[in-house]
Amino acid sequence: MQLSIDGKSVTAQTGEYILQVAQRNGIEIPALCHHPAVEPSGACRLCMVEITHADWGGWKGLVTACLYPVQEGLIVSTANEKVRKVRAGVLDLLLARCPESELIQNLSRQYGIEKTSFIPRPEPDLCILCGLCVRICEKIGASAISTIGRGIDKIVSVPYETEENYACIGCLACATICPTGEITFTQDEQTRSIWGRNFELVYCEDCGIAIGTPEQLKHYSERSGLDMSYFTKCDRCRNREAAARFARITF
Amino acid sequence: MTLPQAPLQNILDKHPHDESSLIMLLQDVQEAYRYLPPEILVEIAKTLNVPKAKVFGVATFYKAFSMEPRGETEIKVCCGTACHVRGSTLIMDEFKRTLGVEEGGTTEDGKFTLEAVNCVGTCAMAPVIVVKDVYHGHMTVNKLGKLLKSLNPKKAKTTGAKAS
Repeated sequence: MQLSIDGKSVTAQTGEYILQVAQRNGIEIPALCHHPAVEPSGACRLCMVEITHADWGGWKGLVTACLYPVQEGLIVSTANEKVRKVRAGVLDLLLARCPESELIQNLSRQYGIEKTSFIPRPEPDLCILCGLCVRICEKIGASAISTIGRGIDKIVSVPYETEENYACIGCLACATICPTGEITFTQDEQTRSIWGRNFELVYCEDCGIAIGTPEQLKHYSERSGLDMSYFTKCDRCRNREAAARFARITF
Repeated sequence: MTLPQAPLQNILDKHPHDESSLIMLLQDVQEAYRYLPPEILVEIAKTLNVPKAKVFGVATFYKAFSMEPRGETEIKVCCGTACHVRGSTLIMDEFKRTLGVEEGGTTEDGKFTLEAVNCVGTCAMAPVIVVKDVYHGHMTVNKLGKLLKSLNPKKAKTTGAKAS
């Protein structure tokens, strides 16, 4: 189907969302809670765009690009005055929540906000509660973290914060996906620590670099159906081995 | 603390074992135990095959669920707009004083839990309190004293003496 984004005619498939199509066509829409690996959730409200249609009798509406399914003849504006204004409003609030986040500061500046017009949160962290970490953890199949509580007390945490209830496999997906860098971990030669727990490390048989935690590799093995022996080498060494094997094949 | 196993088993048997039963199960557990004991949440997670983190997330999201044991009698003081205008703060202060607890707190003897709620839908009777699911409208500090006495004569008497 055909639709128009910022005056550019683009092609899309049924079931796609505006953001997806825009990104594919090089049209930039800011988004914090979006990641192609997980289902969109519309949590950060930053990807607001204005939509209209020739058949809508002049009706226009503001929607989140990440959650709005495309349709034939849709006319999308991603950067007009109204859109910029509503995004500035969202950023004003995000900046009040996370005044110390560099990412939020930079985005806010792009929308003309140097300082939040609200009272900044006392003792702020960097969490914007976008839920990416929770969604990726669920996707990986660990479901070790969730949002706990509600309203102003809502946080991302592990249940009870006690070890016997730990489902965390130490894969670091949450820390990697976190847009603001709130989720942190430490790792030295022997140990990886995340969510208040220490994990042992497994090393590549060939080159000796750390490839993950035993819990993580066991989980991958169970999910993929691949034998544990597959997870004894790092990706690089495994690829090198495969390359050598292919090199021996003569045509 | 060991928890009685029987009510949990009855509750688990009552509902189909899938994710959609989660809230109903939690409601029943809340009613039977007056809170959601951690070990029971873990048991529910296992039975329904739902991640523990998710159960914990749901349990902490809804106000109807409590992670701390609640009192035998729950007193809900409506602090919605209508009740506020008609003096719910006075009612709340009186409860705090006589029971010796803060909002959301439970008396030491485990008899009462004092809760502030936002609207119970009976604004015409403002200010309203709900005690053991019974609505008491047009509340006054005077009426409140009598009500407390009828609920727990000993407690109300001793605190009354202390205050004088």
